[in-house]
Amino acid sequence: MTAPGISPAARPGAVRPAGYALVRAGRGSFLLHRRATVVAAVLAVLLAVVSVAYLCAGESWVAPSEVLKVLTGRPSAQELVVGTLRLPRMVVGLLVGTAFGVAGGLIQTVARNPLASPDIIGVTQGAGAVTVGAMTFGVTSFAVLPYVSVAGGVLAAVLVYVFAWRGGLHATRFVLIGIGFAVALRSVTQLFLTKGDYLVAQQAQVWMTGSLNGRGWAEAAPLGWALLVLLPAVLWAARAQRTVSLDDDTATALGIRLGRTRLGLVAVGVVLASMATGAAGPVDFVALLAPQIARRLTRTAQIPLLSSALLGAVIVVLGDLLARKLLAPTELPVGVLTAAVGAPYLIWLIVRGHRARGRATGGNA
Amino acid sequence: MTGTGTPRPAAETGPAAPETTAEEPTAQETTALQTAARLTARDLTLSYEERTVVEGLDVDVPDGAVTVVVGPNACGKSTLLRALGRLLRPRHGTVLLDGTDLAKIPTRKIAQSLGLLPQTPVAPEAITVADLVARGRQPHQRWWQQWSTQDERAVSEAMARTDVAALADRAVDELSGGQRQRVWIAMALAQETDLLLLDEPTTYLDIAHQVEVLDLVRQLNHERGRTVVAVLHDLNQAARYADHLVAMKAGRIVAQGHPGQVVTADLVREVFGLDAVVVPDPVTGSPLVVPGRPWEREPRQ
Repeated sequence: MTAPGISPAARPGAVRPAGYALVRAGRGSFLLHRRATVVAAVLAVLLAVVSVAYLCAGESWVAPSEVLKVLTGRPSAQELVVGTLRLPRMVVGLLVGTAFGVAGGLIQTVARNPLASPDIIGVTQGAGAVTVGAMTFGVTSFAVLPYVSVAGGVLAAVLVYVFAWRGGLHATRFVLIGIGFAVALRSVTQLFLTKGDYLVAQQAQVWMTGSLNGRGWAEAAPLGWALLVLLPAVLWAARAQRTVSLDDDTATALGIRLGRTRLGLVAVGVVLASMATGAAGPVDFVALLAPQIARRLTRTAQIPLLSSALLGAVIVVLGDLLARKLLAPTELPVGVLTAAVGAPYLIWLIVRGHRARGRATGGNA
Repeated sequence: MTGTGTPRPAAETGPAAPETTAEEPTAQETTALQTAARLTARDLTLSYEERTVVEGLDVDVPDGAVTVVVGPNACGKSTLLRALGRLLRPRHGTVLLDGTDLAKIPTRKIAQSLGLLPQTPVAPEAITVADLVARGRQPHQRWWQQWSTQDERAVSEAMARTDVAALADRAVDELSGGQRQRVWIAMALAQETDLLLLDEPTTYLDIAHQVEVLDLVRQLNHERGRTVVAVLHDLNQAARYADHLVAMKAGRIVAQGHPGQVVTADLVREVFGLDAVVVPDPVTGSPLVVPGRPWEREPRQ
């Protein structure tokens, strides 16, 4: 106790962040969280299995061997059923889940709050309200609607950000204001529904629950492009998370431009969540669930984006598979299924109380 | 005697302190502090929204010394430290690092020469000690260069110095307050900056851990020549460990200099509004502030 830290420098190589593997490539060096890498690999395999199962199951059963034939482009008698009917819908589900998984992870990171996911804080509701509004005013072109959704989601996010801003971003205020906006925007959507044409309203109603029914390449393409274009940003975000997940002062002291970094993370998250909403409607709770489950699996200090993305995709694809098969021939919207799982989790989160953990040494700051 | 400028009668001192252990600050020590200052503040006014906390303050942080800022609660000492570490943008005036306004230096560049440990840092849930300490390397890393032998060495060294190497794989959540504080200090050390700002690094620690942390700070300063600025609550610890003491009150610097010259009964009364006796510390000879008699029903004569 009297002579602390006198021990000489530890032997080199003795301390590498626990649980990380070092990967060198040319002049680059990357830290890979071992457990997160394994979890991501397992999830990728799971996603592949679920995807093939998705293509096999339906009104008629198609053997996995036939499915693989179609996927690898070899001639197959099931080309129409698998390649034309089931595959596009599955791809939409896959992309939607991926986008929600990443979006939820990014926004939860910035708010440091598991409740702060785009489907809770008004982003998907904003995208929904504006999209339904556009639909009731006769905009039904799939070339336009995704961008209308993004505009709605971004608008909602900006409003929440502005109202929550008070010389800084306080996580709890951000979430509460977001929840308020989410409720208000739902009402706006209802208003549009009652004002609109009956048929359009019915179509919009189905869209509002989040459904992959009738979705195909037209919805998949813009979302796929968005994910591809934003990939560098997501890779950057995965790195930035390491510092942003510390407290504000420490992150700033470590040389991060915190304001800009956060804004960038939120922007990527909002665009992805809105695009996904535009493609399949607000598939509730995927963005809330995927990052938190992924984090519990990987036991990382921040939300693992890759695992979160894969898990989001698994949830949506598996959810849609179950939604199609559970009450066959009646088909449920996938959003109903994710809500059935997500709502109890949300209640648990709230009941448990998400107290901001202060340092155990005190935390009366 | 260290209690220079103490006109108060020695009769009040009560049990006399052994003067033999008292030590004058050597001439070299005092002159060494007059050297250059990489970190300075000029005409600094700091405020939170409408409330002005610090006004028109000038300060030079002497290079290679341990500077300790003391003062009563809400005197603006932590606010000043936050401004020196660019966590708080000055309302008026500038903080200069190597002669350049902090606001004009990229924050990452600042982080390469100036480290800061906030008062209550919060670790992400479930993070391990080694992972947290490694994050101190952030300003030296790039997206495509996430880990170098430099990083490895800096992290091992920081953990060895703070005696947390054995805890490397433990979750920060599970540690005791003292251990956790040492981990945070390790993170700041891993940043390997010439300047280190510490905001009340001994808060919440028991006395043994307080001494341990302060000894570590002193050791770093002596062996590595690191410039340290610490905000401390305990005036006696400040007097013991500081090469340069800055006493603040109501957003202004009341006195600064070597503790032996600065800490006097008058100063304690002026800054803290406390009647106290200043005697030489029996161990170090630095000024020791002994507050007046505790309240009693019938004052004795």
